[in-house]
Amino acid sequence: MTTRPLYVGIDLGTTNSTVAVFDAEEITLIRNSLGSVLTPSVVRIDARGNVTVGARARRFLDTDPANTRSEFKRLMGTTHQLEFPASGTLRRPEELSAEVLKSLRQDVADQLGVAPERAVVSVPALFELHQTAAASNAAMRAGFERVELIQEPVASAIAAGWTQGGSNGPWLVYDLGGGTFDVSLLETREGLLRVVGHDGDNFLGGRDLDRALMDLAIARLAADGIVIDRANPQHARALRQLRLAAEEAKIELTRASEAPIFIAGLDVDGQVVDVDLIVTRRDYEAAIGPLIDRSLAICTRLLAANGLGDGALERVVLVGGPTVTPLLRERVRAVLGADFGEGLDPMTLVAQGAALFAGTVALDGRPAAKAPPSTGPRVWLQFPAMTSDLTPFVVGKLLEQANTIKQIKITRSDGEWQSDPTPCEADGTFAVMVRLLPRQNTSFEVQGLDSSGQAVTLQPASFSITHGITLGDPPLSRSVGVALADNRVQVYFNRGSPLPIRRTFVLHTVETVHPGTEGHVLKVPIVQGEFAWAHLCRLVGTLEIPSTELSAPLPVGSEVELMLELDRGGQLRAQARIADIDRIFDQVALLMTPQVSLETLADALHKLRTRAADLSRAAFLDRSGKTAARLSAAVPRLDEAEQNIKAARGGDLDAGEQARRILSDFDALLAEIEAEQAWPELGRKIEESFAMAVSWVAGYGNDAERSTLNETYQACKRAFVARDADEVERQRAVIERLGLAAYFRHPGAWEWEFERCAARVGESTDVRRASELVAKGREAVRQRDREAIEQIVRELWVLSPVDHDEQKLGHGSGLRKR
Amino acid sequence: MTTGDPLALWRSNPFFVLEIATDATPTDVERAGQRLLALLAVGSANVQTYPTPLGPATRDAEQVRQALAALRDPEQRVLHELWASVAPTGGPATDHNNTGVCAGPCAGPWEEAEHALGWSALWAR
Repeated sequence: MTTRPLYVGIDLGTTNSTVAVFDAEEITLIRNSLGSVLTPSVVRIDARGNVTVGARARRFLDTDPANTRSEFKRLMGTTHQLEFPASGTLRRPEELSAEVLKSLRQDVADQLGVAPERAVVSVPALFELHQTAAASNAAMRAGFERVELIQEPVASAIAAGWTQGGSNGPWLVYDLGGGTFDVSLLETREGLLRVVGHDGDNFLGGRDLDRALMDLAIARLAADGIVIDRANPQHARALRQLRLAAEEAKIELTRASEAPIFIAGLDVDGQVVDVDLIVTRRDYEAAIGPLIDRSLAICTRLLAANGLGDGALERVVLVGGPTVTPLLRERVRAVLGADFGEGLDPMTLVAQGAALFAGTVALDGRPAAKAPPSTGPRVWLQFPAMTSDLTPFVVGKLLEQANTIKQIKITRSDGEWQSDPTPCEADGTFAVMVRLLPRQNTSFEVQGLDSSGQAVTLQPASFSITHGITLGDPPLSRSVGVALADNRVQVYFNRGSPLPIRRTFVLHTVETVHPGTEGHVLKVPIVQGEFAWAHLCRLVGTLEIPSTELSAPLPVGSEVELMLELDRGGQLRAQARIADIDRIFDQVALLMTPQVSLETLADALHKLRTRAADLSRAAFLDRSGKTAARLSAAVPRLDEAEQNIKAARGGDLDAGEQARRILSDFDALLAEIEAEQAWPELGRKIEESFAMAVSWVAGYGNDAERSTLNETYQACKRAFVARDADEVERQRAVIERLGLAAYFRHPGAWEWEFERCAARVGESTDVRRASELVAKGREAVRQRDREAIEQIVRELWVLSPVDHDEQKLGHGSGLRKR
Repeated sequence: MTTGDPLALWRSNPFFVLEIATDATPTDVERAGQRLLALLAVGSANVQTYPTPLGPATRDAEQVRQALAALRDPEQRVLHELWASVAPTGGPATDHNNTGVCAGPCAGPWEEAEHALGWSALWAR
């Protein structure tokens, strides 16, 4: 077994996958059995059930497409099952990804003699939680016992930062892979690499460039009377052949000014034709221009969101095969105005970065060595495996049999440096600053000194640290929260929060759950997205509290202490603690994106078109040119969705997914525009809230509250002028809280509130309990017991009715805020 | 940080959490954070509290990481520098020449701290 660390990084790509290893000094790309560092992400299962992966499988894409699958990464986290009819088997996308990972793991074993047990696997930054979970499962199925995930752009950035050393300033990673587009804004300062933010499109990639070229060819063939219809399943084989030819022509067009698309004997509806087309680079560029513009719009949106204007970028790092396209490079340089990082291989950068990341988190892939016989007191050492700091701290704690050790001494292996003896604290802890050798892996020996100054060997006796980069915590790409029964979202983590992260909120149940009631479940839906309304965010998981697991009723209004935690790779853990019944629930069903029928998609498309047309009409009537322009810029995406639905009817599963995604994004865009059109209404709401708050704060508030109210109102107006809807709502909530706080100081306020609740007792979620409370309340009113009235009102609030339509929109949530 | 609690601006100010001076370099910030995270990981009792103008506060790894993230962002750092710099005199004693670590044990609230911050006047109403 190798004596050096084995840090393994895998780029699990849509089209190709790569594995790299880092030994704390050098990065090595692993070659597969055919000698290539790129392994096509293609899996074939033959009639005997034999699985073939990579280039050998890719050869069958044309001749045996039914049993050969590619591009399944785009379907990760969905419920699609891919069929292999020859063997009569069905496989999920993550199972096929596992086959690719297994093959890469074997390549490492073949080349280095060690099958790694731990690895870092890259995922697109905009992968949602269920897609991330699918990637993690795939790695475990492939035989890895532990896996860490890293966002692809972060991996590219680490590799670029490692290779290119100490530049300072902001830079951008433009990563156009086979199926996904990620763009990340980074900053390097004094060796610290920080991801400032990212954006992207999970359904834009090299495959879309192929498709554009195919469409060009289909149009040319149609002009010659050969009609190939994406929606016709009979044409699936012809489309596949056309696609392979288009892919080859695309590669050719990166070097030549024209390329042939030649297919001998293409069968279309029984008519066999030889396709022989010449596509010029100019035609190709006209076809892919809109796709490149789409990617650049995402880049400029990211720069604008971070306050960066023209010329602010120091450089751009291009990642992914499609970035060799000349037009793309030209447009990226023109729009972003920065030079490209030179000497970086766009095809393998992600894998290299993943391997380096494995080094920074000390994820050594070698099987754990058997513990050597104990020869000294054990010590627990904590140190960064890789850091940009030449003088980092090594921290430790002496464990059992260590009470004779009074001091610690650390010596660099080259003998050129050693620490002063450092005293141990009473609890056995110590912190020693060590001196590294620049840009290399430095080994140290650690010794204990007893009270007489005699050296004592410790376990472990040595460790090593690599001087390189320090990686700032990666930011969360989309906000994560919990859907509530009123269709609002309790945000747990905002976009940009550093990972890992954990937060806990106390929420309350909206209905009683009786034990043992079959099928009755209290749902805690976990959503991802930037919208205040849960139905516009994507449902990525649900924590369920089933009635079958309860031994006593869980009454309405019970407190649920809900903790969500995300690790560095974006993997989710959730835990609900219910103190009343002393139980903890932590089984999160990470949802697969459900399959939606093509009829449902077509229906949604029709409704969105109608809604968009209504909004456009309203925008013209209001002379709102900006809204009209936004809508007309977005409407072509509906045409794209329509094309995708057609292609899905022809058997292209990925196209169906893409249509679903476009329609969902379009729905959110329309909701945003509708909210903007309701802007004057929001202005009226602010005035109403302020007028109400002023009247109560003037009479029952203190000076601090009066001054805060005034400041908040000014802030709210500023946000209104800036058209910052979220900020307006935040400030308006503060105004209302100030008003309510003052209102409840009025001597009659709790009694009034009691009467209001009593009048609606029949609508309560637990009418019997509410009626008992009302009876108690009447008695408290008679006795003028204000404290008791307040307590009863608070309990009645918990029982207030739930709007079932809102609850349905809120993914069936069983929780609300008090 | 809780926006509703003005005291939190001092209590959880990242410079106090990491026990470093407002002129600490990015490397100082990282080094102090790395040291605290490591000490918290091994369960050192000495780093579980830190001094603030309002008396000792407790910290955990999550807070240290949040403090690091805040100081890595130049815009956020400026704000925190401002708040830390208007803290009353007699702020956390730091040994700026070495590790940025609090020189002494965490004491109680600094004398006159609340008065200097204006809290007593604000909350006594």
